[in-house]
Amino acid sequence: MAYEALDFYDIDSLLTDEERMVRDMVRDWVDEKILPNIEKACHDGVFPDEWRVDLGEMGILGAPLEGYGCPGLSYIAYGLICQELERGDSGVRSFASVQGSLAMYPIWNFGSEEQKNHYLPKMTTGEWIGCFGLTEPDYGSNPGDMITRAEDKGDHYLLNGAKMWITNGTIADLAVVWAKLDGVIRGFIVEKDDPGFTAPEMTGKHSLKASVTSELVFQDCKIPKDRMLPDAKGLEGPFSCLNNARYGISWGAVGAAQSCFSSAKEYALSRIQFDHPIASFQLVQNKLAWMLREITKAQLLAYHLGKKKDEGTWIPEHISLAKMNNVDIALDIARMARDIHGANGILDEYPVMRHMANLESVKTYEGTHDIHNLILGRYITGIQAFTRES
Amino acid sequence: MDWCFPPSVGLPKIHRGGFSRQSAGDDMGIAVLLKQVPDTTAKISISGDRVDETAVSKWSMSPYDEYALEAALQLKEAGGEDIIAITCGPARAMKMLTDAAAVGADNLILIQDDGVTDSTHIQSLLAAAVKRSGADVVLCGKQAADTNGGSTGPGVSHLIGAACVGMISEVSAEGDGFIALRASPTGNERVEVSRPCLFTFDKGATELRRPNVRGIMMAKKKQIETVTPDDLGVTIGTSSVSLQSHSPPPVKPPGQKFEGADSVPEVVAKLRDEANVI
Repeated sequence: MAYEALDFYDIDSLLTDEERMVRDMVRDWVDEKILPNIEKACHDGVFPDEWRVDLGEMGILGAPLEGYGCPGLSYIAYGLICQELERGDSGVRSFASVQGSLAMYPIWNFGSEEQKNHYLPKMTTGEWIGCFGLTEPDYGSNPGDMITRAEDKGDHYLLNGAKMWITNGTIADLAVVWAKLDGVIRGFIVEKDDPGFTAPEMTGKHSLKASVTSELVFQDCKIPKDRMLPDAKGLEGPFSCLNNARYGISWGAVGAAQSCFSSAKEYALSRIQFDHPIASFQLVQNKLAWMLREITKAQLLAYHLGKKKDEGTWIPEHISLAKMNNVDIALDIARMARDIHGANGILDEYPVMRHMANLESVKTYEGTHDIHNLILGRYITGIQAFTRES
Repeated sequence: MDWCFPPSVGLPKIHRGGFSRQSAGDDMGIAVLLKQVPDTTAKISISGDRVDETAVSKWSMSPYDEYALEAALQLKEAGGEDIIAITCGPARAMKMLTDAAAVGADNLILIQDDGVTDSTHIQSLLAAAVKRSGADVVLCGKQAADTNGGSTGPGVSHLIGAACVGMISEVSAEGDGFIALRASPTGNERVEVSRPCLFTFDKGATELRRPNVRGIMMAKKKQIETVTPDDLGVTIGTSSVSLQSHSPPPVKPPGQKFEGADSVPEVVAKLRDEANVI
């Protein structure tokens, strides 16, 4: 049965033809390539290389970036891409988010012309995979206290330290790594064959199983001087990347929620208990109505934020609200959808349990749910509550 | 098995009226006839005695037409002419034309059909649009996924005076003509045909290309030429064929479950007498 996206408030009518075409292209690809294969990929714990090739061929990596071979699509179109990819699986959207927002964007925004010309054309086609190294084993929500250091050795930099929870790390051709140079956070491009650099894969995940998650280890890692991003200094550099990734997540979560809603609706209409479809019972209808309500609100939030991104009138707090809310409701919808599916909900025949497990990660990465609340709390009160220090 | 027919015993080189190729090397164009149909995975509902088109969740290019378009793109890439995508249908079919442009169609023509359902009328409109375009090679699906009529290709070829090679899976340019490949019960047939000609496509082994962002951005700049029957000089007369009604397929009876070895005779009897499979 063709996927019928929930669009209660006719968001579709607000999109341009180009945005709809891009969305449909990705939606069809997800139907054709992701949905029939995602359970096996999760079971095997791999991100099939064929998906990388397809994403590159579709031309959606680094979607909103312009120049250097990048597509230059609107942020709405980028959001729609994330939505459709995450309807397939959060791991697939994570791949695209990391490549576009976390690896390509810092090079595009903070890199030298030489760096842009060298890396971006091959990254937008998917030929080169990038990853983003900010989080460390002991510094997640508090990246400002990172341990990883860079030393200026005259004709090269020497990196020492370790990063953790790095999507795409093991399969990446390059990593954008944030490290302190003379006490100031700077961005460095580390290539996979640089001496002293390794990226072992982290295993044993119950979530994002079709996504590669890695450590990045730098042990006297020697990189040339021209690999530092010249225009990024301080936490603003990595945070600006995270803003774009978080924006994409706010749309992606809608896709995961849509998948769960669609499955729950279909199941409720076909599952007969007490001689009637369970969709005819009030408690189930109440759950479906709540899902519709929350998805519709999340869609409007994401769409309006997208307009603000395209107009340049957004502030980071807008993104915090959308990321936090949309992932939150998506996770609740996944749980409720599992409930509607009864025992069947735990099977890989249905997507809900996979989305639920994925969304636990999505709730945590790119700024945890609580950190986004603190960002909003600071916005409301003017008082930061991240630390005990004033 | 691969039967290679020499040109003399393959499809006769038919040269009928309707076209006069100007000279070798002229850019005449490849016409592809496309139809927008309910997606094969979309739920179809009947309202009254008609398919409720407003309830169709997804409209797509008819799958056999997709193979025709892919073949046209390959001909073009092999040094062929520009592709003229032609459809006869309502305004919503413009999206399908833009989709065709996104993968490489050069010119887009929508014939406003004003609800025409008579297949002979549609053939007349398509044939007139093909003639007007100047194309002397036409590709289309062997049948549409909604009506499964299969009359468009042969009908249009008759009207434009072109040889019709049906049910093919591949076509390639050969000199000034083409070589087409089609499956037969005893192997594959290679058929040589000269211009003007029309090919209808079956599903082949060819992998269909999907659009990409670059194609989509190019497609939005392409104009769709909208023409009416009057523009094409076609007068839609009285229908000789009219659709009386649509009806849903009969509801499938619920499945039956048998347990234990004792039920084997009953199952065998049902398979023999009711299902007629043994």
